[in-house]
Amino acid sequence: MTPASAPAAISRSPGRRRTYRLSLSAFWTLYQLTLRGHQHGKRWIIMTALMLLPAGLGLLVRHTAPNVPSVAIEFIFVFLLIPQALLPLAALIYASGIIQDELEEQTFTYLLIRPISKSAIYAAKLLATLTTTVVLTVLFTALTYAAIYAGAGGNPVLSRCLKACSIHALAVVAYCSLFGLMSLLTRRVLIAGIIYIVIVEGLFANLAFGIRLITVIYYLRIIAYRTLPFIVPTPSGPTDFAANAWQLDISNDPKLLEHPQLPHCLIVLLGGSLACSILAMVLCSRREFHVKTVEKG
Amino acid sequence: MHSQPLSQVPGQTQVTPIVAFHEVSKWYGNVIGLNKLTIRILPGVTALLGPNGAGKSTFLQLATGQLFPSQGTVSVLGQSVWNNPSLNRFIGLCPEQDAFYEWMTGRDFLNTCARLGGMNRAEARDATSRTLQAVGMTRHQHRPIRGYSKGMRQRTKVAQALVHDPDVLFLDEPMAGTDPVARRDLMDIIQRLAGEGKSVVVSSHVLHEVQSLTPNIILLNHGRLLAEGHFRQIRDLIDTHPHHIVLICDHCRNLATRLVAWEDVEGIKVLPGDKGLMVETRSPDAFYARLPQLSLENGLLINEVYSDDDNLEAVFRYLVNK
Repeated sequence: MTPASAPAAISRSPGRRRTYRLSLSAFWTLYQLTLRGHQHGKRWIIMTALMLLPAGLGLLVRHTAPNVPSVAIEFIFVFLLIPQALLPLAALIYASGIIQDELEEQTFTYLLIRPISKSAIYAAKLLATLTTTVVLTVLFTALTYAAIYAGAGGNPVLSRCLKACSIHALAVVAYCSLFGLMSLLTRRVLIAGIIYIVIVEGLFANLAFGIRLITVIYYLRIIAYRTLPFIVPTPSGPTDFAANAWQLDISNDPKLLEHPQLPHCLIVLLGGSLACSILAMVLCSRREFHVKTVEKG
Repeated sequence: MHSQPLSQVPGQTQVTPIVAFHEVSKWYGNVIGLNKLTIRILPGVTALLGPNGAGKSTFLQLATGQLFPSQGTVSVLGQSVWNNPSLNRFIGLCPEQDAFYEWMTGRDFLNTCARLGGMNRAEARDATSRTLQAVGMTRHQHRPIRGYSKGMRQRTKVAQALVHDPDVLFLDEPMAGTDPVARRDLMDIIQRLAGEGKSVVVSSHVLHEVQSLTPNIILLNHGRLLAEGHFRQIRDLIDTHPHHIVLICDHCRNLATRLVAWEDVEGIKVLPGDKGLMVETRSPDAFYARLPQLSLENGLLINEVYSDDDNLEAVFRYLVNK
């Protein structure tokens, strides 16, 4: 033993096992670290390009077909394209990397060796992911509204925009929570997520049967329908675009009594998100994460 | 296999081990990382030696609670390490992989690590400055890590392990890929830490570096404990294996003729240019004892005698190849 290495080295030693107390400072630092990581990744470039699509298309339709009512353009791009395709994709791209990014970049070790539990690591990173995706979603939804209604605005448009932003934010929270959980269950989360988006959110949600109750988008549509009018004036008279597109039988059930009420929808989406997040935190706390080393190749 | 631990250095038998593995095995699917390893590491500097794939990183990942043992128990400072984040306040790890948040500056990275360790802003700022100075990185603290040389990256990795002032440090190949100057500096840092009373477990396959850091070594190979203890004790352990002794002399072929008659000499090789002999013997002490007499009686001038393998490299080679 070298003379320098005296047993006094462990004077601060922990003794018996201490109860773990989450450091808010560490949690906040990890939250900020993840947000900064999002800014330095390439995802936001992909997401910006994707999320600019509805605004660009809205602008194009508005200028090439001025007779198309703005509400119709809004419905197609804000309530069909964005929640059906872009939001799940945005959530999938970000949520799939909550842990996986750090594992691939081999930086997860720096988090695992700090006095933060793995469940808290997941929670901080999920919160940061929700922050990024919600901000992007709100920003680009507002931009799409601006592209569709610029110059023809007013309080009703602002109100519609705020409601749409809220619905989209809710959607992205639900999708991120779900895909975050999926990323802990499978390494091929991108493939699994795309299959989920196509089959569950794309196919099941458009079937006028009870199976659509298991989809996120069904509840979003009900919330949108209960909070916003989608009556579009057409040559044949006012038409309810949303009811037709979303398989809502308003001729027999004009008040949608067979469908969940607004609070029910919110509870399902927020409760489901919370359940997914808690489950993911539990999974995370019990799992060991293999960071590549030279030895393990 | 010399898997039984050798006796510890006198005076340290009562000390609580900083790391204790009991019958620990770790499998990665069908591949075994560690195989029924039982070991106690006492305070001080300990070197973990073995070739790539020996299980050194697995050992360190288990000791720092990153991995869960497939079998057995792992404790550090008397506590179980798995799912025990509070313990991480007392331990630091310099991982093997050369990975960073490349977009950060060195100072930013260390400050973030300090904050992740639970320090407030002021504490983290002070700890960052102190640690940067300790590893000699103050001058480069505001440069992005992506522009750092290998030596600077290694210093930064060591710094993040130190920033929260841990009691026990695990350093996984800290000198890998560094230039001689950085290597010397890192060794100085480790020795200084030991001088400050830290316990350090350093893994390496560069044996001469470790030999100058500490005589306490643990040899791993294929996930098994090959030997552990004081370097000298391990050297004694392998005394049953041939030693190579070099004799530099003027009339080496004459000397060889004499030596070949000795029973404990198992082989003799004439060095290029007839500069000397390399003698292989299983009884080095007896050989050394008879050598002066041989030189006197026969007038064979032996200019220099040295052991070709009295270093850690030889110990390691013997034990691994056995």
